[in-house]
Amino acid sequence: MNPADLQALLPILIVAGGALLVMLVLSFKRSQTLSSLLTLLSLAAALASIPMAMSADADRIAPLLVIDSFGFFYQGLMLILTMVVTIFAHSYLEKFRMERGEFYILLLLSLVGAIALAQASHFVSLFLGIELLSVSLYIMVGYIFTRAKAIEAAVKYLFLAAVTSAFLLFGMALIYARLGSMDFITIAHLLREHPLDDPYLLAGSVLMFVGIGFKLSVVPFHQWTPDIYQGAPAPVTGYLATVSKIAVMAVTLRFFYSMDLHQQPGIAAALTLIAAASMLVGNLLALFQDNVKRLLAYSSIAHIGYILVAFIAGGERGPEAVTFYLSIYSLALLAAFGVIAYLSPSDRDSDTIDHYRGLFWSRPWIAVAFSIALFSLIGLPLTAGFMGKLFLVSAGIQAEEWLLVIWLAANSAIGLYYYLRIVIAMYQTSDDPQSEDSTAPPFALIIGTVIGLLVLSIVWFGLHPESLNLWIRALSTQP
Amino acid sequence: MYDLLWLIPALPFVGFLILTLAARSLSQRVAAVIACGTVGVSAVLTLGMIAGFLWNPPADYAHTVTLWQWMPLNSLEIAFNLRIDALSLVMASVITVVGFLIHLYSSEYMQGDEAYTRFFAYLNLFVGFMLILVMADNFALLLLGWEGVGLCSYLLIGFWYQKPENGFAARKAFVVTRIGDVSLLVAVFLIFSELGTLQLSEVLALAPDRWAEGSTTAWVVSLLLLGGAVGKSAQLPLQTWLPDAMAGPTPVSALIHAATMVTAGVYLIARMHGIFELSPSAMTVVALVGTVTLLTAGCAALVQSDIKRVLAYSTISQLGYMFLALGVGAWAGALFHFMTHAWFKALLFLAAGSVIAALHHEQNIHRMGGLRKRLPVLFWTFVAGAACLAALPLVTSGFYSKEKILWDVWISPLGGPWFWSAAILGALITALYSTRLIMLVFFGEAKTEVSHRPGKRSSFVLIVLAVWSLIGGGIEVPHNFGHLTLLSNFLETAIPASVELPPGLDLQLWILLLVASAIVTGGVLATVWLYGSGSPLRQKISDRTSGLQRFWLGGWGFDTAYDRLLVQPIVWLSQINRRDGVDGLCRVAVSLGRTGHFLLSTTQQGRLRRYAIGISAGALALLILMLLQ
Repeated sequence: MNPADLQALLPILIVAGGALLVMLVLSFKRSQTLSSLLTLLSLAAALASIPMAMSADADRIAPLLVIDSFGFFYQGLMLILTMVVTIFAHSYLEKFRMERGEFYILLLLSLVGAIALAQASHFVSLFLGIELLSVSLYIMVGYIFTRAKAIEAAVKYLFLAAVTSAFLLFGMALIYARLGSMDFITIAHLLREHPLDDPYLLAGSVLMFVGIGFKLSVVPFHQWTPDIYQGAPAPVTGYLATVSKIAVMAVTLRFFYSMDLHQQPGIAAALTLIAAASMLVGNLLALFQDNVKRLLAYSSIAHIGYILVAFIAGGERGPEAVTFYLSIYSLALLAAFGVIAYLSPSDRDSDTIDHYRGLFWSRPWIAVAFSIALFSLIGLPLTAGFMGKLFLVSAGIQAEEWLLVIWLAANSAIGLYYYLRIVIAMYQTSDDPQSEDSTAPPFALIIGTVIGLLVLSIVWFGLHPESLNLWIRALSTQP
Repeated sequence: MYDLLWLIPALPFVGFLILTLAARSLSQRVAAVIACGTVGVSAVLTLGMIAGFLWNPPADYAHTVTLWQWMPLNSLEIAFNLRIDALSLVMASVITVVGFLIHLYSSEYMQGDEAYTRFFAYLNLFVGFMLILVMADNFALLLLGWEGVGLCSYLLIGFWYQKPENGFAARKAFVVTRIGDVSLLVAVFLIFSELGTLQLSEVLALAPDRWAEGSTTAWVVSLLLLGGAVGKSAQLPLQTWLPDAMAGPTPVSALIHAATMVTAGVYLIARMHGIFELSPSAMTVVALVGTVTLLTAGCAALVQSDIKRVLAYSTISQLGYMFLALGVGAWAGALFHFMTHAWFKALLFLAAGSVIAALHHEQNIHRMGGLRKRLPVLFWTFVAGAACLAALPLVTSGFYSKEKILWDVWISPLGGPWFWSAAILGALITALYSTRLIMLVFFGEAKTEVSHRPGKRSSFVLIVLAVWSLIGGGIEVPHNFGHLTLLSNFLETAIPASVELPPGLDLQLWILLLVASAIVTGGVLATVWLYGSGSPLRQKISDRTSGLQRFWLGGWGFDTAYDRLLVQPIVWLSQINRRDGVDGLCRVAVSLGRTGHFLLSTTQQGRLRRYAIGISAGALALLILMLLQ
């Protein structure tokens, strides 16, 4: 490994170094604030190092990682989102009497896995990335171990992730058995000569997709989602729903697009089925859901379904649209989980719709911010969510995936219903103002500002989508 | 300097945001300063732009600023681009300057209202949208402004929403103008599908190439645009909402329903002049709409007893003059009358508002009277406004603008003696009802006690507007005395300003001028005599025409007719149609969703082994699917 390689790996090295630093400091001084500050610092340093890493004269850390602007865009996105999660988590954990500093070690370690995924170009780095990401997440999900729900969620997640990792590994093994390589690029070369209808290869890719689909929570691998979203602390759910999915989506884009798998008719048909089913099942399950965290979990299934439309469409616009949608979806979703974290007292998360009834009259700013985040998830014009859907649809139309596009539009209409239920509840006048409404969380100003910034960015990208699109187009045209 | 263009509409929006977000923590004084300040700075900027145009005009006398692209799709590019040329600057200057004065007036007028901040937030929002509307260089942006001012109009008519009838008036205004909006929307779609662009300047450049003169497409597009204009500008047959819109606070009537928003239709037609010129028959329709409106609304104004409704009908009638001018191709004439009308009608509404406030919210002119001595400032300013409205010769701006329209109607090949006669009849009616208003409100015996006098700010605004209404006509004086054409010279850089004046018509024009002056002056004097002398003739006329009066009082029975012809049949149809198949379809969708939800919910019982089975079954199904192919 030469200096240029090290330079190109700066972000991931800084994040890993940050994890070590937090661990060391914790053994001398147990302070949540100090740990979270160090975490923020190392995340900021990693973000700042991206331009330097991009200028490094390296394109591959053979054979595991690839260095390209696509990977850097996703790294930057995940770093920013993790900073937001850190701030939310700091305020959220402040309410608990337990060891809290260790949380940030886990957060940073799982981010190392996520960044590795964004750069993975090999089965080994893919698997290591996913495991690094998940192992930390198991503990983060169950971090508030005094809550039975959290422990239940952690165990469920651990168990099912283990099962699907087995699928993933077995799929890799099948492909390796047939082609003798685990490197994306070599496989892509070999596939050009090798017909894909080979049963080993087909079975291998299907089994691999089980592992990936589980992480993305698409139908039929979606059932875990609501339980884990509900059980995990709100900031962790936010992390799980955004960073973890972005990382997996990044590696999926790279894997599928480097060998044009999405254009292979059989796989395309399977993906289409999965996308259509995800949209419908996710939306239907969310329809009468009274628990906001479960509702967001079900709707995330549908959102991944929407994203798959552009994924299947491919072409010039497809990956761009996927990246755009992932970015702005994460902003809105994090804003939503930020609001949940903001409003949650220490005994349980405020997650039923009743908690939000009349919120506008007691906390107008938070209610307006939450409404805008939900509007963006619905995809109303003038929010970024509208632009995201527009780009997905436009990619779909360009590939003439008419049925999928119509299906997407119809399903968005279902989405309107359950998101608006929350919005309506917030603006109703409640007869008995709940007593817990008056207590502000620790560091309310900071967390409120961050939510405000997220919401502003949602509106800004809705009015001026080109400002984000320019970056995406410049950095991540083709994985 | 032109790069500051975006600030002109942005500032009122900033004011709106501050007033909305910080509503609870602002004192009334601070709120007023923010509201007036933002519009005031916009006004200064607009005037600065005009000065820039006069001394150092940009290339082609237009300046476009593309702020950013909103949606770049294949052939459809929606950009936030603002463009100023002479036409939009004239509109914008009236909107900001008159808007500023009305803000200033309201800061005193609305004092004590609970929702002071909300009022100014809406008012600022309105000014912002109106500026977007006149400065947009893109149909999408123009529609944003168009719908935005409609929304603000709705919010402000129903400002005192606790009273159900105000809410009803607001809804009526919204729904009726909506009919026009749909027509405009269809026009925009048609333009896009025919010309492939939404950029106004490109549309105007492309239209003459693509559409031959007199072509059906141009005709259809023109009429659809006219439909939009008719709705917004309260012209026949969509005029019924404006008299009811008087339910809003009086400054709102002055700003939105007299000076600015209702002239959006005039602006739209003037802006799209290139399309209308391709279809002379559509132009004639515009002129006809204007003529019929100005006559019917004028007659209705003659018999109203509510001071604001008199002014509302007179606004409709004056807008009719502008449409008539547009229809005969007198673009500058229409814009000139728009300007003078904005001043004197804002003045009249504001003065009327002060009168109403002075008399315990009494709006019935038959219960006013004798205010000449007791409220001298109001009297003199109101007389100045009414004189402009009546177009009293030489001393009023209304005279010059109306005279310009009358001449252009006479000369233009699209006009002619018939239109001219109708317009001169309208001028007579205008003189009659303006004088009647003055006589009933300010002369005669006092019927209601004065409880409140206008304050300093109100008086200042009224006097400024009055002075400007009287002398402002000087910017455009006909060629046979003075020959000053500042406005039309300025407008000529954007739209074909006037009808060509054929040589050798001087004598004819002098005669026309004298006839018009004589008719107006005669009308004024006759009314003064009729109401001042206590002659029995007045009672006689009143008795003879009581049926006609009732008819006109109800605005020619349009409301009743629409109720019978449209509302009731639709209600009836929807009632008998209550159990049609469409509802059934909707219910099927709902029950499908419900069933789907509960069926799927059974898969979510939280049991780990079921989840594991689910994943494995899914994997198996996918495997089979792939391997069978």
